Amino acid sequence: MNNNHVYDMLVVGGGPGGYTAALYAARAGLDTVVLEKLSAGGQMALTEQIDNYPGFEDGIDGFSLAEKMQKQAERFGVRSEYAEVLRMDLTAVPKLLETSEGIFRGKTVVLATGADPRTLGVAGEAELVGRGVAYCAACDGMFYKGKTVVVVGGGNSAAADALLLSRVAKKVILVHRRDALRATKIYHEPLEQAENVEFRWNSTVSALLSGDRLTGVRLRDTVTGEESVVDCDGVFVSVGRQPATALAVGQLALDGGGYIVAGETTETSIPGVYAVGDVRTKPLRQVVTAVADGAVAVHMAEKYIVENR
Amino acid sequence: MMLTITTNSFENDVLRADKPVLVDFWAQWCPYCRRIAPAFDKVGEQYADTLIAGKINYDEEPQLIERFGIDTIPTLMLFKSGEVIGSVVAPGSKAAIETFIRETLAQ
Repeated sequence: MNNNHVYDMLVVGGGPGGYTAALYAARAGLDTVVLEKLSAGGQMALTEQIDNYPGFEDGIDGFSLAEKMQKQAERFGVRSEYAEVLRMDLTAVPKLLETSEGIFRGKTVVLATGADPRTLGVAGEAELVGRGVAYCAACDGMFYKGKTVVVVGGGNSAAADALLLSRVAKKVILVHRRDALRATKIYHEPLEQAENVEFRWNSTVSALLSGDRLTGVRLRDTVTGEESVVDCDGVFVSVGRQPATALAVGQLALDGGGYIVAGETTETSIPGVYAVGDVRTKPLRQVVTAVADGAVAVHMAEKYIVENR
Repeated sequence: MMLTITTNSFENDVLRADKPVLVDFWAQWCPYCRRIAPAFDKVGEQYADTLIAGKINYDEEPQLIERFGIDTIPTLMLFKSGEVIGSVVAPGSKAAIETFIRETLAQ
């Protein structure tokens, strides 16, 4: 698709925020394409069960919800491309995105690139992904049936991962840099009662030990500085998320955490560019808040297009 | 129509194929396998002149899983003239699948 066609709206990212923006845009008569590097859903697609998205009284798995959102948007004429954006020129007129599937031009751009799991930042980590290092217990937990795993983190997702793994693995060791979980209370009791869950407080992972695959981790006590080795078959990293904003660096205002600065209107520091969902500065990152952003972004974009005709 | 490769069909479908074969080892319960499936299907269509794309189910074909030492899925494996010429675990995008194909075939 390397031509001069100018879309009304280019949506980058096919998660709930992106496809809701596309749905609203198409229904407002805007010529819209969604650029998604893999498949609809983003982080939501890896969620086993979503029980807090209204309208699905029995819950729904994230992948199916994503497919429904995609199909719903496509029913109104939205195009989807499996394109990975490589470079953006957001101040150009029209705005220009260079992708793995060619160049796309648009009057407006909605950035719905979401967030990725944060890494430990320990040597050898990238090489050990798929060989003992994992970021998604729902995805990879099955491979650790009857084995010993370490979960790193203390928030809700770490607690949920530890709980899920405790039902599969022989032993789960939860490593957290503080002396108590940050996760909400509902997780505390089941975790403390699980007989195969052990806690290592005030500890960080200082090294990954491996042969062909991971064999253990070295922990560092944050109080005493002492180091110790824990043998394990897998380590599940659950230390938060980082926004996928590498392409926006130098073009858009980002906050200290790397999120795109945009308020409730989703307007960024460049006119005609909107940030929706997890990638935006906001107090609560949920599917419902992402879809709300998508609708608001289109409302603002329509105004922008009329004013800049 | 995506090719389903089984233990019985493996010899004919993969080892004796007249083109390189790109295999996706997957399972129904694997969320990331579902995520890459649409992109994998699309690549299969786009590269139909160059290669054959097919899928092997992790749960249904334990002999093939053991034979190729698959311990993480999704794993994509490229075969040429009856031999494994490369593999990649959980590629992050359609573009990453295409890069894997191009670089492996160019070796």
